[in-house]
Amino acid sequence: MATQVATSFYNRLADEFETKHQFTQDTAASDRLTQLRNNAFSIFRAKGFPSIKEEDWRFTNLVPFLDLSFDVHPAGIDTDSLQQAINEQKIPGLDTYQLVLVNGSIRMDLSDLPTEDLVTVQPLRNIINESFFIDHISNNSHVGVNALVALNTAFFSDGYFVEVKKNSVLDKPLLILHLYTSDKDAFFQPRHFIVVNRNAKAEIIERSAGIKDETVTLTNSVLELLIQENAHLVHHTIQSHNNNERWLHYNHVDQQRSSRYDNFTCTLPGADLVRNNLEISLNGTATETHLYGLYLVADHQLTDNHTAIQHLHPSCQSNELYKGVIMDTGKAVFNGKVFVAQDAQQTNAYQQNNNLLLSDKAQVYAKPQLEIFADDVKCSHGCTIGQFNPESLFYLRSRGISETAARKLLVEAFAFDVTEKIDNEAVKQYVQQLIYSKLSSASVRA
Amino acid sequence: MLTIKNLHANIDGKEILKGIDLQVNAGEVHAIMGPNGSGKSSLASVLAGRENYEVTEGEVWLDGKNVLDMKPEERAREGIFLAFQYPVEIPGVSNINFLKTALSEIREYHNLPPLTAKEFLKLTKEKQQLVEFDAKLANRSLNEGFSGGEKKRNEIFQLAMLEPKLNILDETDSGLDIDALRIVSNGVNKLRAANNAFVLITHYQRLLEYIVPDVVHVLYDGKIVKSGTKELALELEERGYDWLKEETPVHASSTQ
Ligand SMILES: Nc1ncnc2c1ncn2[C@@H]1O[C@H](COP(=O)(O)OP(=O)(O)OP(=O)(O)O)[C@@H](O)[C@H]1O
Ligand SMILES: [Mg+2]
Repeated sequence: MATQVATSFYNRLADEFETKHQFTQDTAASDRLTQLRNNAFSIFRAKGFPSIKEEDWRFTNLVPFLDLSFDVHPAGIDTDSLQQAINEQKIPGLDTYQLVLVNGSIRMDLSDLPTEDLVTVQPLRNIINESFFIDHISNNSHVGVNALVALNTAFFSDGYFVEVKKNSVLDKPLLILHLYTSDKDAFFQPRHFIVVNRNAKAEIIERSAGIKDETVTLTNSVLELLIQENAHLVHHTIQSHNNNERWLHYNHVDQQRSSRYDNFTCTLPGADLVRNNLEISLNGTATETHLYGLYLVADHQLTDNHTAIQHLHPSCQSNELYKGVIMDTGKAVFNGKVFVAQDAQQTNAYQQNNNLLLSDKAQVYAKPQLEIFADDVKCSHGCTIGQFNPESLFYLRSRGISETAARKLLVEAFAFDVTEKIDNEAVKQYVQQLIYSKLSSASVRA
Repeated sequence: MLTIKNLHANIDGKEILKGIDLQVNAGEVHAIMGPNGSGKSSLASVLAGRENYEVTEGEVWLDGKNVLDMKPEERAREGIFLAFQYPVEIPGVSNINFLKTALSEIREYHNLPPLTAKEFLKLTKEKQQLVEFDAKLANRSLNEGFSGGEKKRNEIFQLAMLEPKLNILDETDSGLDIDALRIVSNGVNKLRAANNAFVLITHYQRLLEYIVPDVVHVLYDGKIVKSGTKELALELEERGYDWLKEETPVHASSTQ
């Protein structure tokens, strides 16, 4: 029964793939793309949708989330609600540039971009057949990694290509809003690229939202980031969704020598499913990487964070802290891989994952995975799963604070280790406020 | 104000309080002394509503209201405040935010509007001065990394902010340096009023020189075995507790 669901969706995708490729143009560049897509689709064909038999999907069964007659050609953009959605996704008190995408395609009319000497923004559909793009995707893509990336590679038709110019320092953050809307249940597969060139520095905040509550959306998005030598990117992902939304994100970061990448991934209660894959390849020496994650899971939601850091060269530092609060019948998965290659001497790699379970039915599956092949390294990892400290709860209540409010305070406090690391004050405040407002009384009461 | 009748309480099935009677009237200061492990903190915990204590017998009344029926937060809103012997550290909860939440919940309970930001700031400043509590500490995470003495002073700062009816100080003097002891005592003396009362749990006569009690009780093995005037504290300082073993336990609550 369960596999039939995946099979029927798979068959529709296979048909779609055959049809689509009868229409491809016949240029040298597009030939290479077609080749890439064919390879990708054969990988997907061979692997199928990930199943719980695979180590990386043991605790996240995708099958129930594929059980829909998803439309692969979504239609019916409700322009009126777009502006409202944009306003809802903005961060109060924060002046930003703005890049708006609707169903994976850039809407220049709704965007407010930096000047081209700082940053260039190109719709992927415009460059999809250009050889520079095909070179880029061929060099950086990790098509073989997993079936979902392969599936995206086979199908993607649009997305953004953002490039921060050499030596430029972005004067304010770039807010990227991904809005999705469809009259029918829909399946989206956008593909995005960020390149931060040498010595450049930028802060990017990504937010995604489904506009229509009543239709179900499944999004399989892939973002590839290239951080060039000595560049620095601060990258926030604030995921505050609604039910009927299912998100599969695959972000791959390629860090070059002396670059720095700071990632903040904050997932608030709401979406049925969020699976974040964040993979970092340290492809040069003396890099610095900070990964901070916060996940709050309630109701019947499932939030799965898989991170992987590949230390391939000497003298790189990575530091990871993920904290989760699981309420109601929520389920969270954390898997953090740290791989240190034999050549990666003088590696510093720290990883910490802490979970707070607020109900008897809440579940968490946490797995740190360290594979170290170098000898001169400093690596540590820690993982905890706990409940509220009753002494703390009593202390707060003994001052007149209700049990519910006390629990909220303690959840905020638990999250504070992560939120305090957000340098951008407006983003920090916004995230803290989201945490407070998204913690329903029912959920924290356990 | 506070009436305790024949209070018995267990923890993990073991009886700790073995029939306590105590009457504390508005305007009074009572001291409770007694050897380690005699049940002083347990009595304070039961009054504040700590859930791991099971009351097996007896009654507790605060101005005619049944305390044992109330949740810890309700007791606090009704005016019971316990300055803990061992205050917990709660990283990530800011001291000030916590006090703001507590104060507004207490005010809401009494149908009072929350203080404006300005009023709250003014009150904070005033109380900080009263107990000479460092503003830097007030802005930090609740007790996180505070020294033993700083934690105790924070308890008194909170007490000053919340202005409870019944103030129970569990060994607030232990860990305070000589100057701090004087400052905290002065603060407490200024807070004393006709409509509140203080219960001071202490091992040392010194505190009682600063805050002069109306009554001194000795708690021994879960019972109040002797009550007297402030001279009793002096006698205990000289003779210790052993001589009390021979005395017959009294059921008298107060010498008044
Ligand atoms: N959780 C517990 N489980 C078992 N026994 C406990 C527990 N908590 C307290 N007790 C016991 O209850 C008794 C009274 O403890 P309590 O802390 O009330 O003493 P105290 O008079 O405050 O002592 P001190 O002067 O050392 O502070 C002690 O024998 C203690 O070991
Ligand atoms: Mg004690």
